[in-house]
Amino acid sequence: MAVKYAYHPGNVSHSSAPEVAVTMESFARAMGIQLIQLPGATSCGAGIVRQANRRLQLTLNARTFAMAEAQGLNILTPCAATAGNLQEDLDALKSDQILMQEVNDTLENTCGLTMTGDVEIHHLLHAIVDEIGLDKLEEKVKNPFDFAVAGYYGPNIQQEGACGGDDVYDPIYLEKVISALGGTPVNWEARTQSVGVPGLFSEEPTVMKQAAEALSEAKAEGADMIVSACNLSQAVLDIYQGKAGRNTGLSTNIPVIHLSEMLSFALGCHNKRLAMLRTRIAVIGD
Amino acid sequence: MAIVSVYIEEGCITCDACEETLPEVFHVTDDTCYIKADVRLDGGYDRNEGKSALKGEILSQFEDDLLDAADGCPVDVIIVVEGGEAESAEPEEAAEVIQEVVPEPAVEQEIEVAGDDLEELLSAGDRSLAILYGSQSGNSEALAAKFSKQASDYGLVGTVYDMDGFDFASLSSMKRVLIVCSTWGEGEMPDNAEDLWQVAKQASPGSLNGVHYSVLALGDTSYELFCESGKDWDEQLEKLGATRLVDRVDCDVDYDSMAAEWALDALAAMAAVDGTGVYHEDMVESIKEYVAGGDEGADGEDGFTVPDISAESIQAEISIFRYDPEAATTGSDTWVCAMPGHLSLLEALRTIKNTHDGSLSFRDGASDDSTTAICVNGRLVLPGLVRLDAVAPTRDGSLRLRVDPLPGFEVIRDLVVDHWSMERRRESTQPWMVAATREGSATMQGNIGLMEPNMATALHSITDFASPALLQASSDAVPHANGYLGPAVLASVWARRNDPRSSASSVKGLDEILGSSNGIKAETDLASIRRQNGSGLVVSEALLDAKTHVLEQDAFTGRHGKHVWWYAWTLKSSGKVNDTVLYRQVLGPIGLLGNLTSGVTARMMSGFTRTGGDMIADMLAFIAPPAGVGKMPRQFNSSVDNHHEVVAIFNELDGRF
Repeated sequence: MAVKYAYHPGNVSHSSAPEVAVTMESFARAMGIQLIQLPGATSCGAGIVRQANRRLQLTLNARTFAMAEAQGLNILTPCAATAGNLQEDLDALKSDQILMQEVNDTLENTCGLTMTGDVEIHHLLHAIVDEIGLDKLEEKVKNPFDFAVAGYYGPNIQQEGACGGDDVYDPIYLEKVISALGGTPVNWEARTQSVGVPGLFSEEPTVMKQAAEALSEAKAEGADMIVSACNLSQAVLDIYQGKAGRNTGLSTNIPVIHLSEMLSFALGCHNKRLAMLRTRIAVIGD
Repeated sequence: MAIVSVYIEEGCITCDACEETLPEVFHVTDDTCYIKADVRLDGGYDRNEGKSALKGEILSQFEDDLLDAADGCPVDVIIVVEGGEAESAEPEEAAEVIQEVVPEPAVEQEIEVAGDDLEELLSAGDRSLAILYGSQSGNSEALAAKFSKQASDYGLVGTVYDMDGFDFASLSSMKRVLIVCSTWGEGEMPDNAEDLWQVAKQASPGSLNGVHYSVLALGDTSYELFCESGKDWDEQLEKLGATRLVDRVDCDVDYDSMAAEWALDALAAMAAVDGTGVYHEDMVESIKEYVAGGDEGADGEDGFTVPDISAESIQAEISIFRYDPEAATTGSDTWVCAMPGHLSLLEALRTIKNTHDGSLSFRDGASDDSTTAICVNGRLVLPGLVRLDAVAPTRDGSLRLRVDPLPGFEVIRDLVVDHWSMERRRESTQPWMVAATREGSATMQGNIGLMEPNMATALHSITDFASPALLQASSDAVPHANGYLGPAVLASVWARRNDPRSSASSVKGLDEILGSSNGIKAETDLASIRRQNGSGLVVSEALLDAKTHVLEQDAFTGRHGKHVWWYAWTLKSSGKVNDTVLYRQVLGPIGLLGNLTSGVTARMMSGFTRTGGDMIADMLAFIAPPAGVGKMPRQFNSSVDNHHEVVAIFNELDGRF
């Protein structure tokens, strides 16, 4: 029986990270996962909106929860920032019934919706390991992903209650997925550290140092590429890696792809893109 | 025969006819029709395929409308169940179900407790507990929320109800009810309780038969009519036939301990009401013991036995970071050893030092010494407070630990770091109280200033972290942001800034520190602080408040303010974040030019190391490049469905955007 989720693509899949949207679809098709669109779902706020108004972000996300609940489905997202923010807001609502009632009052008045909290947030990574099963993934591999891969989790899904059955501080799920796809996981420390995405536009010098340290560490540990579980971090680690390298003097050139791309490529989708990636791995480097 | 239930068969075409006929009962969703929860005895919200009976008052009021709705259904999927026979293809099954639901007051498949099975009593059947509050200042509301959380310890499912808007008629179907009500002015009901009270006064005697209740009254003895509202509720519920299980408690302004005591009795008594509504008074004491932890493990004459905390030896591979300042060499040493699992990590380090390598350096001290903090497998800990077998997960039968010095500090030797950088930053914030002159209160200790307990608790929760160094190290920005004060220092600044004892000039100075370039703006991601430990969560919440405060003070100007402002603005505009608008508005022309020359724009357009995608993603790319070229995001977003709802939420909650 097909696994079915309410799908939240994350904040930038519709814009600066379209490759995530495309590969999520092909991966889901290949694995028999049904992604039910939530066409009314908003951005999760990325922790930015709550800096202006905490209740506002909470209510917008409560609206998304209500829509998923109406479908009777749990939410799946490929973005760690979205998974972390949604989980944080869901926990806040479920732990405070008065707050939930007030938020529901606002939702009822503005949208005619209410939520109960009977919904779960799953990041793609945790859905694969905890629900779909690595054995099933392994069976579907057509292009063994024979690279040395540094898996990047980021801090948003490495929170208590947001990381499925994985360990908060010393996770292993991404490494398990890489191994299941035929790759070699690289052991590196920056994998759960923040690369400062929320501060990219406002504290760029600091963020460049954070990104450069992560990129250079992955390279130094022998990684051919970084695979990110977060759309936002992936975009920053890729787009800003040249600038980060120049600002810090560190070696930062390394391909950075999203988890959904790795999964999709390994399952035989987008072979031309995989070929392009192989070429880039071959030519990039100092 | 009389109607007892109604349900929806498969095949609903969602034409809305039934909902238009009887909206009190039917709710048409996107793909079918549901029978509403508040008209059903089982409280469910679905097609009611289980044929749960409808409430008596609904049936008597809407019998004709139900038949009209069924007749008017163009696809005949509304099935009305009458007096023991279902109009369905499964008559035997339906009849069986009806037999269960028709007799009053039995409503569900409930289990009567034999009398001494505590576990069964606390888990079987309906365990709902309604907690109604009448509140003027919020105290009763807060207590109701607290009792609701405590209810789960008693096997109860607590639901808090605001008396304002509460349907009095629904009270009759509840088995367990707690009332928490304050008194306002000269014996008056709080504003939110007045309407309900007027309805309750008119209700007929006997209407609350089968309801078990207790009342907690809040008041002020300095008023003549002390706790009058609570007394009124107590008397009225009794008049209406409800059964008082625990005597009302009348609390003065210092209500905490009396309320807590009442809750212990009231919750235990409510828990002793089983799923059929029978009160087992003889079980109340057992329930109290059970919730208190019982007497399990209480051996010996003193009735107390220290639990066995020893654990078997575990095989551990411990890699420890080493740094020799004289030779300027770094590396790590690994020991494979068997140690008792209950050993603290600090004891394990001592053992290695004493038995294998006397040169190993780490900060030693009491188990909770805040300066001993280290990093183990990415987790920041006080090593004296974590057991070896609990510090990290065991994988493939073995425990592998990687022990590092705290990140963000200069390493002196091995695991010993220099806290001076943090202390210098703390020093720069002048971490002493500059108090305002204020009115004192006469106490036994003399005239002293007092603080509201809630405020004191809030301030303490921000600053009661186990180790400033550990908290400081939890920020991933600290090692990279020169001059950033860090979360440990800023948490103290924020607490002092909100301390009502601080003088106005001191608050102004603290605001300047928070809003400075080394203040809260320098933190790039609160998620890294939040994830580390219990105090990280509390502090990250406090720092979020501090950030909001600073942004509002700056009227959302500057890059930080614009980032937040335009993110929210684009979200309101389409429901999605618009990277292009954000990028342009926050960075401005100089920033954009900088990115153009540094290659960032080129990488955005080419998707340098990324795979796939069209070179031209949007027609607008031809008109206003680079938007829509390569990986450059589009200039305009399509809106999410029902975008007007998003706008309505913004308008309701924050008119600034």
